[in-house]
Parts: sequence; C-alpha cells; structure tokens
Amino acid sequence: MSTEDQRAPRSLAAALRARDDTSLAALLRARPDLITPVPTDLTQLATRAGTRASVVRALERLDRFALQTAEALAVAGDPATYDELLALMAGDSRDRAVADALPGALAALREQALVWGDESCLRLVRTARELLAPSPQHPSPTGLGPSVREATAGMSPGRIQELVVAAGLPSTHDSVSAAAALTALFSHRKKMAALLAKAPADSVDVLKRLMWGPPYGQVTADPAARLRWLLDRGLLLPTAPGTVVLPREVALHLREGRAHHTAEPVPPAVEALATHRPQVVDATAAGQAYTALSTVEELLKDWHEGGPAVLRAGGLSVRDLKRTAVALDVSEPMAAFWVELAYAAGLLASDGEADERYAATPEYDEWLERPPADRWAQLAQAWLAATRTSGVVGGRDLKERALSALGPGLDRSAAPEVRHRVLTLLAGLPEGAAPDPEAVLARLRWERPLRGPQGRQNAQPPQSAAPGSPGPQGSPGQEGDDDLRSRLARWTLTEAELLGVTGRGALSAHGRALLGARPATGSAPAPATAGTGAGGPSGPGDKLPAPHRAITAATTAAAPLSPPEQAVATAAAARLLTPLLPEPLDHVLLQADLTAVAPGPLRRPLADVLSVLADVESKGGATVYRFTPGSVRRALDAGRSASDLHAFLAEHSRTPVPQPLTYLIDDVARRHGHLRVGSASAYVRCDDDALLNEILADKRAAALSLRRLAPTVLATRSDPAALLEGLRAMGFAPAAESAEGDVLITRAHAHRTPPRTAPEPVPDGPPVPDTTLLTAAIRAIRAGDLAATTPRKPTEDAAPLAPGELPRTGSAETLATMQAAVLTGEALWIGYVNAEGTASQRVIAPVRVEGGFVTAYDHTADEVRTYPLHRITGVAELADD
Amino acid sequence: MAYVNGPLIVQSDKTLLLEVDHEQADDCRRAIAPFAELERAPEHIHTYRLTPLGLWNARAAGHDAEQVVDALVQYSRYPVPHALLVDIAETMDRYGRLTLSKHPAHGLVLTTTDRPVLEEILRSKRVAPLVGVRIDPDSVAVHPSERGQIKQTLLKLGWPAEDLAGYVDGEAHPIELDEDGWALRPYQKQAVENFWHGGSGVVVLPCGAGKTLVGAGAMAQAKSTTLILVTNTVSARQWKHELVKRTSLTEDEIGEYSGTRKEIRPVTIATYQVLTTRRKGVYPHLELFDSRDWGLILYDEVHLLPAPVFKFTADLQARRRLGLTATLVREDGRESDVFSLIGPKRFDAPWKEIEAQGYIAPADCVEVRVNLTDSERLAYATAETEEKYRFCATTATKRKVTEALVRRFAGQQILVIGQYIDQLDELGEHLNAPVIKGETSNAQREKLFDAFREGEISVLVVSKVANFSIDLPEATVAIQVSGTFGSRQEEAQRLGRVLRPKADGHQAHFYSVVARDTLDQDFAAHRQRFLAEQGYAYRIMDADELLAGEA
Repeated sequence: MSTEDQRAPRSLAAALRARDDTSLAALLRARPDLITPVPTDLTQLATRAGTRASVVRALERLDRFALQTAEALAVAGDPATYDELLALMAGDSRDRAVADALPGALAALREQALVWGDESCLRLVRTARELLAPSPQHPSPTGLGPSVREATAGMSPGRIQELVVAAGLPSTHDSVSAAAALTALFSHRKKMAALLAKAPADSVDVLKRLMWGPPYGQVTADPAARLRWLLDRGLLLPTAPGTVVLPREVALHLREGRAHHTAEPVPPAVEALATHRPQVVDATAAGQAYTALSTVEELLKDWHEGGPAVLRAGGLSVRDLKRTAVALDVSEPMAAFWVELAYAAGLLASDGEADERYAATPEYDEWLERPPADRWAQLAQAWLAATRTSGVVGGRDLKERALSALGPGLDRSAAPEVRHRVLTLLAGLPEGAAPDPEAVLARLRWERPLRGPQGRQNAQPPQSAAPGSPGPQGSPGQEGDDDLRSRLARWTLTEAELLGVTGRGALSAHGRALLGARPATGSAPAPATAGTGAGGPSGPGDKLPAPHRAITAATTAAAPLSPPEQAVATAAAARLLTPLLPEPLDHVLLQADLTAVAPGPLRRPLADVLSVLADVESKGGATVYRFTPGSVRRALDAGRSASDLHAFLAEHSRTPVPQPLTYLIDDVARRHGHLRVGSASAYVRCDDDALLNEILADKRAAALSLRRLAPTVLATRSDPAALLEGLRAMGFAPAAESAEGDVLITRAHAHRTPPRTAPEPVPDGPPVPDTTLLTAAIRAIRAGDLAATTPRKPTEDAAPLAPGELPRTGSAETLATMQAAVLTGEALWIGYVNAEGTASQRVIAPVRVEGGFVTAYDHTADEVRTYPLHRITGVAELADD
Repeated sequence: MAYVNGPLIVQSDKTLLLEVDHEQADDCRRAIAPFAELERAPEHIHTYRLTPLGLWNARAAGHDAEQVVDALVQYSRYPVPHALLVDIAETMDRYGRLTLSKHPAHGLVLTTTDRPVLEEILRSKRVAPLVGVRIDPDSVAVHPSERGQIKQTLLKLGWPAEDLAGYVDGEAHPIELDEDGWALRPYQKQAVENFWHGGSGVVVLPCGAGKTLVGAGAMAQAKSTTLILVTNTVSARQWKHELVKRTSLTEDEIGEYSGTRKEIRPVTIATYQVLTTRRKGVYPHLELFDSRDWGLILYDEVHLLPAPVFKFTADLQARRRLGLTATLVREDGRESDVFSLIGPKRFDAPWKEIEAQGYIAPADCVEVRVNLTDSERLAYATAETEEKYRFCATTATKRKVTEALVRRFAGQQILVIGQYIDQLDELGEHLNAPVIKGETSNAQREKLFDAFREGEISVLVVSKVANFSIDLPEATVAIQVSGTFGSRQEEAQRLGRVLRPKADGHQAHFYSVVARDTLDQDFAAHRQRFLAEQGYAYRIMDADELLAGEA
C-alpha cells in the first residue's frame, strides 16, 4: 500500500494521507474551516476539503497568481502534466518570470489541498474545477470557451464529419475520433498556422475579437461569408441557435498557448512615491494624533449636555451628523469617522434612557485623565480592531435602508484584516516613504483577487463589438475598483492619516510600533516584493509560495496580533509618541486688537476658561481667541467676577494685559446684572411704605411669601386671587388691578360650564342612505344569495346536504377538486371555518392552489381572498343549471 | 520637545500666525511675504492668510508650490497639516493652465495646456460672450477689448490665466526724478521696483509714507505719458505741486482735467468725479482714456475707485497700471476686483514698521467715551432707526470734550473731523475756528489749508472732504467727533492726516470721541479694527476722567 502511495496517490484522501504533519498543519492553518468540527479521518477531511463552501472560501483567499494557476489547471486536461500547465501559464514563449513563480504557486495550491497528484498527473479538486472551468453560465476569467470535444458533444455525426473534411482532415468513422482529430489539429501550432494562413482576413479579425473572451458571439440565421468560412471548419462552433463559440483549442492557438492575457507571477510592487525625512513624518503624524485627541474631546464636549437622540432603528440621524460635522468643522464622512472612533473606543454610547440619547461614557472621564499618548493609543487600538467601518455611512444596505453612523449594519468583518495588511505594506517600505495609494490597492487586489470576470478587467483587452458580427455577449461588470476590500483599503489610508498613524502618507515610528514591528532601525529598505525579496522560488518542493515568504520576511507581523500582543505593541507606540506630542502651555499672548493667541495647545483648565471668556477664531497648532462684549458677558454669566477675569488674564498672559481689554471687561461688568429679571405671579403696591412694612411684619402674611422689590412694591408667587383673599383675611381692603393698572371692580361671577356643544337632534328613524351605500348593500345581498341558493351537484357517496349544512369532504378530495376547478375555472361551494371557529358557506372560484392555501375569487364577498386549505371543511361542485 | 521652535504656526483655516518677537521672524516674514497676505499686524502675533489669489500671484511672480511648502515647513513650529500642503499644491497647479497671449492673426488668444480645462471654462455662460472663434482644440480667440473681463471671469472660475500679452509702451515722454536734497526712501524704491517688475499692481503704504513719490518714481521708470486719477481737485493740485518739485516735469507738462479745467498734457491729472460724470446716460469724459497713448495709468487712493471706473479699467489691460492706497479695505468687499483689474498687491508695508523706521510719526490713539445725558438717552431710545447714529454721534457732550481737548493741546495744530455739518458748524462757532465742508470753494479751501500750514490758524474743523490726500504736515492732533458709520478706511485715513513726520519727531495724537452704549460705540469698534490690526492700540478713556483731569 505504502509503495503505491509513494508512486501516485489515487485520490485527494490518499494524497493527504501521504503528507507529513507539518504539511497537514499548514493546510489546516490555511483552511481553518476544515477542522470545525474536527473530522474523524482523512477521508472525511478530504471530503470536507472538497465541499463547495470550503473550496470557494479557499479560492477566495488565493493570491492572483495562484488563482490564475488554478484557473489554468481548470482548463487543462484532467489530470494535467506540469509541462501542460507551464505551457498554459507561460505561453509558447516560456515566460521566465512565470516559469520561475509557477512552482511556488503550485505548491501553495497543493498545500491548500486544491491540487493533488505529482507533476505527471496534477489534479485540481473536482469542486474547484467545476467552479473555475468555463461554462456558458459562468464565463471563466480566462475568457476561454469549451473545448472542441465539449462543444461538439451534441452535434450530429454528419455535421462533424463535414467539419473534419472542411478542415482538411481525413473523415473518421465516429464522432469521438472526429472531435479528437479536430482537437489535435487545433492544438498543433504549425498545422493550425497553415490552416489560418488560408483564412480570409476578415475571418481572422473575427477570431481575434473573440480570442481573449468572452468567447461567445451572436450570428444571424444566414451568416456572412467570413463567419461561414470559420463555421465550416469548426473554428467557430454553434452552441445554441444564433450563438457560436470559439473552441478553447483555437483560442489557445491564437493566444500562443496562454490561458491568461497577462499572467501576473509577481505581486505589484508597492514603492515609495515620495520620501520624507522620518522626523517630518513622525512630527506630522504626532501633530495629527494630537488633532485626533482634540477632535474627539471637542466632539464629546459638544455632546456634553445631552447628545443627539438615538434613532428608533439605532444610530445617528443625518441631521445630527451634519450638525456634528459643522461643529467639528469637518466633512460629514470625517464626522462619521470621529463619532464611530469614539464609539469603538468606548468613549460614547447611548444612555439607554426612555428618551434615548448619545452621551459620553464614564470611560471617557477616565480617558481624559490619561496622558495624551495613552489616550491616542486607546483610540488607535480601537480603530485597528474595529469591524465597524464609518466609510459605509450614508450608503444603503441590501434592504435599501440607509446606513447611519452609530447605527446597525456597519460591521465589515474584513476591515481589521485589511487595515492590518495595508499598514503592513506601508511598514514594508523604508522609513519616511509614502507609497502611491493606487499601488497599495493594486497589491491588495493581487493578494486577494475577486474571483470571476469582474475582478479581472485588466485581464481583458479593450474590445468593441461591431454590429452584425459575433461580439461579446454582455460586458463584464466594471466594479473591480469598487470592491469592498479596495474601499476598505482606501478608508484605511485616509483614516490612518487622520488618526496620525501615518504622516504625509508614510507610516510613522509609532504607527510601526502599533503593528508590533520593531521600529526599523536603519535605512535598510525591507524587501517588499517577491522576486527581489530574499531568494527566488527554488523549486516545486517549496511549501510556501514566493510572495508569501517575501511578505513574511519584510515584516515581523504578517497577521493581526492577538489581544495581549496588541496591548504590548500599543504601549510601545504610546511610548514612542509621548515625546512627539506638544507640551501643553499655560500662557497666552494678549493683543490690543482684543485677541488672544495661544501659541500651542493649552492646559485643560486654562483652555476651558478661555473658551468661555472669548470666542475661538482660528484653530490648529495654535488657537486664536477674540474677546467680544458677548463673550465677556458669557464669562460673567458663568459666575465670574470682573476681578476674577482680570486676575485670570494677568496670570496667564505672557504680555501685559492691553488697556482696551481691561476696559472691555470693566465696561461689560458695569452693565452686567444692572437689569434684573425674575418671575412673580402677583404684586402688592402701595404709596405708603409704612403699610407695606406692616404687612411684611404680620405673621399671617408668611403664607403669602411676599418679597419686597422696592419700597412701595411687594411681589409674591401666589396667585392674585389667593393674595386678595389673604390680605382681606388680615383685615386689609385691597383692590385688584388690571394689566393696565386700573382698579378692577369685581362682582360675584355667574357660574359657567367649560365650553360645550349643543346636543345633536335625534330624528325619527335612520337617515336615508346614499347611492354608494345602497349599491354596496345590494351587491352583498346578491352574493350571499348566490352562495345560499346555488344548487349543488349531488355527490354519489353522500346524501344530499341539507340546506345550511356544511359540505364535508376529505382533504385529498378537497385538494383535487380545487385543483380541477383551477383548471376549469369553475366556481365551487365550500364550507369554511374562520379563525374564530365560525363556520360559513362560500362560493369561490379558485385561481391558484399552493402551499396549503387556495387563492380564489369569493363570490360571497365579491373579492379575491386566500383561504388556508385546512380550514375548509369540504367542497362541493355547484349544480349545473 | 521634538519641534523645531519656529516662529510660524500654520492653522488649519489657512491662516499663518507669525510670532513677531521670535529671532527668525524677519527671515520668516520675507519667506512667506510673496504668497501670504498680511491680514493683521498687532503687537505680538501677526496673522497672514493663504488665499488662492495670493498663491496665484506668487506663481505669476515665479514662485512655485515647492518653495511655498518649503517656507511653511521650514519655519513652522508645529507640523504643517498634510491636507493644507496638498491644497496649496493643487491651487497653485491651477495657475498657468490657461495663458493669454498675442497672436499675429487673431490679436489675442487664450491657450491651454490642459484641454479639459478649456472645455470646462468655455462651457461657462460667463465666458461665452468674451471669446471668439475656436482656433484649434487648445486655443480660442479672445476679443482684445475683453482682456480684463476674461481675466476677471477666469479668476472667479478658479482657473486664472497667465497674461503673456504684455503691455504697450505708450507715447514716450522724458521724466526724471529730481533727487536734489532728498532721495527715495528704501521702501519707496522697493515699491517702485516691485511694481515695475510685476508690470501692474497695487502698492499699499501708510498715510503720510510718501505714496506720491512712489507714483513719481514709477513715472520716472516708465518715461512715458501718464494719466493720474485722483479723488478731488485739491488733491490734484497737490500732485501737480509735488511732481513739479520732485521731478524734471514742468508746470506746462502737467495738465489738470477736472470740473473746472480740461487740459490734456503729457502728464494729466484727472479726478474720479469728472470721469464718472454722467450726462444723458453716457460718460462724456471717458474719451480721456483714449485721448493719448498713455504709457502708465496711476490710480491714487485706489480703495475709493468708483464702480464705473472698474468697468473702464477692464478695457485698459494693455496699459501699465499702478494703484496707490493706504488702506485696501472696502466695506463693499470689492478688494478682489481691485486686485484683478489693477493688478495684485506688489508692495505692502505694515504701518508700525514704517513708523519704526521713522518715516511716519508715532501716534497715540485714544477713544474717549462720553455719556449721553438722561434726556438724550430717552430721546435716543425712541429715535427712528436711521436717525439713531446721527443722534448719538452728535450728542452735546461731545462738544464739551472736544473743547477740553482743544484746550489741552493749545498751541499745537489741531484738526477736528466730523461727519455732520450742523455739528461741525456748531463746533466751529464754539472753538472759534474756520469750517471746511463740501460747499467751501476750492480757492477758499486752499487758502485755509495754507493758513493752517503756515500756523496762522491752529484749529481747523473739517468735514469728510478732508479725509484723503490733504497734505497737512503740521497737524499733530486730530479729534474725530463723528464718522461715516463703520468705515475702517476712513478711520485710517483720518489718522493718516496727523502721521506726516513732524519736524521735531513729535508724537501725534488721535482722539475719537464716542458716545457710550450706543451705535456710535459699535461703529467705532468696527472702524478701529483696521488700525488695531495694524498694531495701533487704542486707549479707552472716560470723558469724565478727561474733564476731571482738566479741572
């Protein structure tokens, strides 16, 4: 048995059985879905590895070259030899780069158990083959059509013989050998070249148009001569009436053997577009990191006294997002980013009250107390791991519901992995180097291509379908650029810049640390591309494909870190960031034009007071404040006195306080509170203040809670009537005053009810009905009549039903009768028990019977209704008239 | 600190804050001056602003985005936001995609290096009437008369055109500076040089800093016939006087084109008023622009340029234009029209800097707040909205304060400036001083000004006719009792009346008398903004304090 194994495995299971433990471990690491749950034996493992879901998953995780290799195998023979594969991949010219990379790609496919068998008989797992092989429904990314054998399978023997003869071959005795002869001819480069040399030029043009796919074209019933020439020789084969296909062998000949227009053995290089001094990058990133902190603080300060309401479906309303964007002075997508970031970092959440609002969490208060670098680290860590993506905010989900910030449906599980990958790619560049974002995207697309034609727009040369000639059937969707991963990558680049992980497009030192990578020590550029990386692919024995190995060599962190590792990395990043963040200042510069300039970030208490005392005019590295009468008044309203403010300014100004500012504060303070406003519901006035003194002194007046506003005025919160009564009880004779100050002469009020409407007249007998009501009533009566009086066909096995008795039939019979009635369009008489258990008789004309329901036109109700079959007690045909 | 301790802070709203006391401040100022607009120059931190116009002018003057970015990055204290740098590069990149140049067959053509841009602008409704036939995919003919219009329109569309069509030399006329016993000051030379190098543009110098000489210097450079546009006849005479004194020009070579005289000579001085006189719907004096082949057109007090002159100026793009002003702030916000039609700012000197060099007198600015009397307060509260300002600005208390100030500065040359004639007449009566107002004849005005200059009169009450261009070097105290609402440039111009350097290096005094807690105070605050931003710190005093100090 074992000797046999070593010679050639007969199945995937056998192939797996032959693999050593490391190799199996690699498989399971690459396809973790295979061990959930753990399979009982290798046969089961092999079976599971061949399931469609698992294969799809594995294919989706292949890099572009490995996928191209798999696609090539899918159009090659089964099994195929290594040489056959090499020919498909590298073409007749035997492209060196492809030939070098192929063993690596093949090894990767083998490792993933997508390919098994040795070089003389390479087998693609059957499911993978089905997924990747071209079929009319699923055009292959290779743009190849079916082989001659497949395309001629349904053809009449006579027709095939004609083709063989027309192609200049001897006729054969059966279709299979004829097809084989054609295949042999088409695959033979020299003979084929000779055949095509005889072709009219416009026929060759047609072939060239179909050459890179899609291989299908439309023909009319009477094809033009150039098409006829091709059809006669089998260079185009009919697949369906009006449709022809370019057989795979012909296409391969035209393509000089290549399965792909462009084989991409080497990942697109991510190279530096611009290189800045690392110090500049770090400083810029740190500056942005600081901005990120202040933006989050500003956001939550803005929401300090009750944030925006939570939508019923969850999330922030568009209006609130707009408002937030204005408040933060950023665009809406950016506002969504900050809000989501604060949410991801646990700094804000909904308060869970009945009237639900967003607010800062207690965690936010703790966060505020931490050193700036730690605060940043918390944000950055949350960002790296978050699956919620703010980028999709404003879009719509599959059910066309708008996606709102903080709302549901924002999770994109690929986000952390893409973020990490993008940053890792950046980390692969020398310090201070900023890549072209497009190159990063291209690289990501190479590493994880979209399967299917839409992922491959660059695999297809531009083509145009001329009218009246075979043209491509439909054009592939051009959404390659907009796939989720690319969008995620784009967002990652923007967000990393916003967060200060990168600066001027290059990864900063603290950003590097965040990835868990040791800060690159020197200028030695880490190799970022395969091929130029450490050693080329050495041979088919390689277990790891070349690009993967190069990536691993480039950075020490190829996969997202585990939480504890991440915590360590984050702490390291914070340590690196600390010295870069600006030291908060404790002073401002005051100027005579009533502005104050804080030439850097301010200590928090100072900034808080100043933002009350003055309006912020300009933000950035520094802050410009302007003092206005309004802002000074705000400070006085907040309970500060003029002397407080003078002292505050004198303490924190590096320069003498300008006279106009001092004057402004005094001037506003002079007028502040000069007018007082309060509320009272009644007053007592009297020209004699002695009398008022007497009232105030009276103990009985305590209940009236009178307060003296002026020597001759008392005010109270009690209402005027109570006050009058109280004063009268004390023996005074007060008079009520109107709003204009006149004395009100009050008489005893006549008692009145609240507003009431006059009673409606009650006429004798009901009102005369209108026409609509009458018509409706008559129709209902007639319908009921029909149901009750329709003569029924007497059933053979049952006594005629007494009037009013429900028909009773077995469910099978009911169903059969119903179905028959649907076909004949007859009306039936049924007994029906409704949800309340009430039985009724109805006359219905069934329209459709399915899923246990009958949809019918109900004559009784005069509308189409649906009845559950199980509620129908029985059915009877109506007697023929 | 990992930061280079630079003098510049770049704000995210595209303002640049320059710490004046920093040791590198001067280097930094020089580096950013070509592209950033000085907005405010108070004592400690100057504010510059990056505007598309400023960046494009820098491009026109031969600076590229790289230099701008380098200057910012080199002097910035904190890292410059990346987005801002990208924005600068993008903005500057828009300049020069379109060029205006001469064409042998079509006269003037607009050419592009980026075809979609041309397509985009040709689709604009505002451009369509200004262009002629499409010559080839990359160029289109422009009516030569629309050169100014199209430049202005393209600027508004955000695709400024580089004007390579050049200038006509005009009719040559020999003009030399007659530097006998005096010489152009360094900043004046610099201004002339910048202007000449740039072709056309605006020179901003404080009042009293010798703008006329910059004009004369420019004329001496051009050596061609010159049209000078000024605000009024008195100013025209002063220009003539000054030109005769400072250049090789003689009385006969200089013509005056005003309401009274219509002389057209190699150098002609015209007033805005006569140009904009309209009879039967036409401007009869417009032919002045075509009456000679002018080589240079000078606009004095360009901030006052009346709207019709904008229109004519647009047609004069082939001639060199020089605008002179102290205060390029217009309450109508048409500064950018001045820049696009006359030309970009070629020279700008902060007032305080010229003061530090001793070319203008230092000034003590004081705002005196007077209280309305109780009856006045009641009347003010009930006054109609349009009457309110007049009411509070002419309160009787102001008279007392003015009298007290005049007494305090007795023996010095004092100007009392106001808006309302009644108020001025009353003041003139009480102070026993002559009043110059709109109805005063030119002869009488000149007589009074001469008497004031000679010291025969020490107090002069003037209305807004004396806002500009009146050269009264000996005035040392100005008392402003009312003004044209919140006009910033008026305030600056009035201060300018007392800034001519004094023979004895004396300090000038500027008093603005303001009624407390009224519109007057609000307007005063607005009026003072320009000067406050130039670093003139107003002290605020209470009238009681002033009157008490007197007693």
